Parts: sequence; structure tokens; C-alpha cells
Amino acid sequence: MAAEPEKLSAAQRSKVRKLATPKELAPDEEGGELNIVPFLDIIMNVLMFVLATVTTTFTATIDTLPPKAGGHGPKPTDAPTLGLTILIVPEGFSMKAKGGNVGPGCDSIGGGLAVAKAGADYDYPAVTRCVAKLKGSNDAFADETNVTISANPNIPYSTVIGTIDAVRKTEDGKELFPDVNFGLAK
Amino acid sequence: MPPRQKAASMSTYKRMLRKEIRKRAGDHEANFLNITAMMDMMTIILVFLLKSMAASSASIPQSADLTMPKSILTTEASQEGVAVLISKTHIVLDDQAIVDVPQDASHGVEAKFKRGGPNDLYITKLGQVAKDWRERDRQIRLATGKDPSGSEAIIIADKDTPYRLLVEVLFTLGQTEFNKYHLMVLQGVKK
Repeated sequence: MAAEPEKLSAAQRSKVRKLATPKELAPDEEGGELNIVPFLDIIMNVLMFVLATVTTTFTATIDTLPPKAGGHGPKPTDAPTLGLTILIVPEGFSMKAKGGNVGPGCDSIGGGLAVAKAGADYDYPAVTRCVAKLKGSNDAFADETNVTISANPNIPYSTVIGTIDAVRKTEDGKELFPDVNFGLAK
Repeated sequence: MPPRQKAASMSTYKRMLRKEIRKRAGDHEANFLNITAMMDMMTIILVFLLKSMAASSASIPQSADLTMPKSILTTEASQEGVAVLISKTHIVLDDQAIVDVPQDASHGVEAKFKRGGPNDLYITKLGQVAKDWRERDRQIRLATGKDPSGSEAIIIADKDTPYRLLVEVLFTLGQTEFNKYHLMVLQGVKK
């Protein structure tokens, strides 16, 4: 039979408790360190505030050159050039290419608007299809990336940006006319 | 009266004392979590956020007076050049309000601000301020080995800015040897 473990007396237990209790250091005994916890609490609150209130916006820029009067386009060369110019009017888009006015449907040279408004809104997808058709009409136009955009004086900036986006590339990502110049309507 | 318990031997007493010290030490360590390292990290993140937001275009105020148009573009915005803001009420160059924008700006700014009357495109005061900035930029470009022949401008315009007003600003800058513009837009698919 195993011997019963020896038990401490009450005085010994008291002394063990007293000696085993970790000493609480007085403020002047804490190794001279600054208590930065309140400061860090403030920082934490400021961080949360900043993250909660700031709305991050992602921006991009469209590069362009100073506007040119007249909209003459590139100098004529022996090779055929498209020389695409788009005029934004309140009723839609008028286009000039290959030295003439692009008619409705973008199939031929003729009078009228190339792309009319679809209801109250400008028909940007139709503009994309139209300029893609014009660019694809001759292999010599494949390397042309310049377009001159002009507008009536009261046309808002957002419509101009929408048009720049519409002629930039096709829906399947094929590059059309990413280089934009602004023209001055006379 | 219960009999007094007999004191344990010194070896038992010391063993119990060591055991108790180990136990208390363990308890003490688990009393709190050391979050100083995490707080340090948070401080660094905060400083980084404040610094990067102050320097980026995300700090451009979007308000009823100036709301940039959206574009399908997702390329990074250029930070090169002087910022020219065209809001519904003011034209601002380099944080300096230049001219007021009239209620109906479809004919550009008022004729008194233009060089040759209502049909002129050149905004006199904007041209003067742009010329000063251009001269400073030319000196900097010369000193830093960049091409000094022209400066660049970042155009931050409200989405409802009439084309005429936009062209007047671009034309005036073009007359003061600004040869490249960056039209700032918000990234995002238009509705």
C-alpha cells in the first residue's frame, strides 16, 4: 500500500502562497518604459475612422493634344487614308471619312447623320460598329489610330468621353481609334 | 479543538513552493494579450494610407460642383503636369481660382475674360497664370534633363462641362506651350 503524501501545515501553505505570488511592480520600477497603450488606442481609433470614411475612387487619364482649328486631318498622301472626324450634335453623330460625309448606316458617302440618337440617349454601340465598319472597309486603314472629335458648343463633357470610349476599341477588344484629337467646330 | 497538523519536511515544503511558483507564473502570463506588435503594424498602415491618399488622385473632391465622368478605361492615371479643374462654378489652375464659370457656359466664359471678345477662345487670366507655371516648369525640366519644349496638364472637368468651355481651356493652355493633356476620368463601366 502506497504511503499517503505528506501534507503542508497551515503556516507552510500560507508561506508558499505568499512567496509564489508574483510581485506587482511599482510604476517607478517598470524599467523606465513609456506607457504607449493610450496613444496606440488613439491611433487605432483614427485608423478605423479613416478607413470607414474614405471612399476610394480609381481614376484614369485619356491622353490628348491641343485642339486644332479646321479639322483638316492628315496631309494627303498616295496611300488612301480614312481621316475620320466625328462631330457630336444634339441629334446624334455626324462623321466624315475618306473625304466625304458618312451617310446613315455607315455604308456610303451621303448626307445626314451617320448614327442618330436611340431615343433620348446617344447610341454608343452603334458608333463603335460604324467606325469598325469604316476602318475595315480598306486594308490601308488598318494602321490608322487617329480620330478627330468635335462637338456642338453645348454638348456635355461626359458625352465627349463616351464617344472617345466608343471609338477606342470594339466590344471584343480590337483596337480602333485610341488616339484622340479635339477639333474646333466652325 | 482539532489537533494541529504536523509541519511537512523541508524537501516537501520546497517542492510545493516550486510547484506553486511555476503555476502562478503560468497564470500570470496568460492574464493579458501582447498586442503591441499589432498596434505597431496598425500605425504603419495608418501612416501609409494617409500618405498615399494625400498624394493620389483619390483625394480629388467629388461633389455636386465637380463630378468627373466615367470611362471604360482601366489604365493608371497620369500624375504628370499641372492640375486644371473645370467645375460648374470655377476654373482652377494649380489650386488657384482663375475665372468664374457662368450659369450657361455653352458659350464659354464671359467675354470680358477673353482676349478678343465673345468668339475668342483664349482666356486671358488663365493664359497668364498658365504662362507663369509653364516658365517654372520649363526651368525644372531644364534642370532635371527633361524635354523643356512643352509642359503637360491634367484636366479634371465636371461631366456637364460644355464642349465650348472645355475647348477654350485646352486652347488657352495650348497657346502657352502645354502640348499634352491628360483628361482625368473615373474608372468604371458607364450605364
